[in-house]
Amino acid sequence: MTTTAQIPLTISEPEKRSRRRGSLSRTLVSYSFLAPWLIGFLGLTLGPTLASLYLSFTNFDLLQDPQFIGLANYQRIVTNDVKFWHSMQVTFTYVVMAVPLKLAFALGLAMVLNRGIAGLPLYRALFYLPSLLGASVAIAVLWRQLFAKDGLANVALGLFGIEGPSWISDPNYSLYTLVLLSVWQFGSPMIIFLAGLRQIPPDVYEAANIDGANKVQQFFKITLPLLTPVVFFNGIVQTIDAFKAFTPAFIISEGTGGPIDSTLFYTLYLYQEGFAYFRMGYASALAWILLIIIASFTAFSFLTSRYWVHYND
Amino acid sequence: MTDAAATTQNVGGARSLLYHVILCAVSLVMLYPLLWMLASSFKPDDEIFGNASLWPDSFTIDAYIRGWSGLTVSFGTFFWNSLVIAVLSVIGNVISCSLAAYAFARLKFPLKNFWFALMLGTLMLPYHVTLIPQYVLFLNLDWVNTFLPLVVPKFLAADAFFIFLLYQFFRGIPRELDEAAIIDGAGPWRIFWSVMLPLSVPALATAAIFTFIWTWDDFFGPLIYLNDASQYTVQLGLRTFVDSTGKSDWSALFAMSVVALIPVLLFFGIFQRLLIEGIATTGLKG
Repeated sequence: MTTTAQIPLTISEPEKRSRRRGSLSRTLVSYSFLAPWLIGFLGLTLGPTLASLYLSFTNFDLLQDPQFIGLANYQRIVTNDVKFWHSMQVTFTYVVMAVPLKLAFALGLAMVLNRGIAGLPLYRALFYLPSLLGASVAIAVLWRQLFAKDGLANVALGLFGIEGPSWISDPNYSLYTLVLLSVWQFGSPMIIFLAGLRQIPPDVYEAANIDGANKVQQFFKITLPLLTPVVFFNGIVQTIDAFKAFTPAFIISEGTGGPIDSTLFYTLYLYQEGFAYFRMGYASALAWILLIIIASFTAFSFLTSRYWVHYND
Repeated sequence: MTDAAATTQNVGGARSLLYHVILCAVSLVMLYPLLWMLASSFKPDDEIFGNASLWPDSFTIDAYIRGWSGLTVSFGTFFWNSLVIAVLSVIGNVISCSLAAYAFARLKFPLKNFWFALMLGTLMLPYHVTLIPQYVLFLNLDWVNTFLPLVVPKFLAADAFFIFLLYQFFRGIPRELDEAAIIDGAGPWRIFWSVMLPLSVPALATAAIFTFIWTWDDFFGPLIYLNDASQYTVQLGLRTFVDSTGKSDWSALFAMSVVALIPVLLFFGIFQRLLIEGIATTGLKG
């Protein structure tokens, strides 16, 4: 008999059981790591998401039990709610203006910084600072003053002999001050662009130089195509973020979305419906519409991405 | 050196000077408002409006004294509340997110890919969708007007961003280290505790710092869950200040805004490299 023959080819029954027990206990150990997240996910994310879907079909004011009213909330939102359409318009204007401007700034400065400039860490840090502070109430407070009638912006314009309007309290301009606040925070996408630019091998540009391509051609034929994955990522993150903007509009308009609803962001309207008027069913329907918009935008971006995003593999 | 090469170098020098001019101009325009706010907080009220100077003509810290006790509850209380919430959130996030990240990065278990996909899905979910049922839940638990709705979710890894950040980092740690530990008879908990965590200090620190800053700056959560001024965070206190005395007392409002920014600025000053690397490698929105 050779030694190898002593190794059993089939696993004996008790052995199988102990292995199964082994894998069961391994599963239990694994799930013990996952437990906090899993409890949170089921109890604070999945459950509430489904609950809000249900609530969106009800009339619910916190005091009485929700009454099922079918699609009535959605119907009223779409056909009979001027504020909804107005807040949509405000939010889309904000997204469409703020996101491209912010990304353009971020990319432009990332390209300048990528030129091997001395003092790169310092500039990068200075540009990044507003991204870190921008969401706070303090900055919204500052913004309110900057763009007041006799605020800093108008003092600066005054140097050029221009008399600026009262930006914050003029409904024609108030939204643009918030767009500017968003663009001011271009630092974090800039850092991501900078990391992306570093990945482009320098010999691609050398080859292009030899072929006589000028800087503009190089930007559109090399830099931008190779950077599309980063543009894609930044675009999605910033757009979703812009849809969710709340604090600055709340502080600047003192929670009203004014003047004349010119800064009535969608989230602000949702907050008013839910927590000022306690129309919780209606607010849930608004939340689900927001989810559908964000999900469609994301799905659309992913579906079209293969036509314009170039992955290097 | 040929003439042509010398010319190129000069152009290079001129161009690099031009870049510095652009970058300095942009930095100045961006940061001027912040410096001006700082300066204004030391100015008497009548000196603020219509005055762009960064140097107070008459320097006074009155605004800080007025602001600190400007409301019925002092800013000291708001600061303490914000600090308690932020520190508990940091502890909760670091523990719960690193546990989940370790499970996803290293352990094998049934339904792993399913849960992982759902976890990534929550990254995109706007919080408004869960807002109202969560509020009803916390209301029924009698947690409204306490810190619990703001803190407990952090212990349940509600910020999937950080799971993802730590997951990425854990995956970068060589598996040989786990395998060596397994041969030494270590189980998952030992490996997690004595191999992964010590090697992940930079990622854990990044998660901790971002959690602190985001919690400190959070306005929406406290706005919904805290009703009693003695429970207010700094952000809510500041907002109350805007609504009450703010319009008449800008210097005090600025002084308290500066105070509210100090913790974030401190973190930025000390840890900016970690923060910037965290954004560059994981695409955190910062």
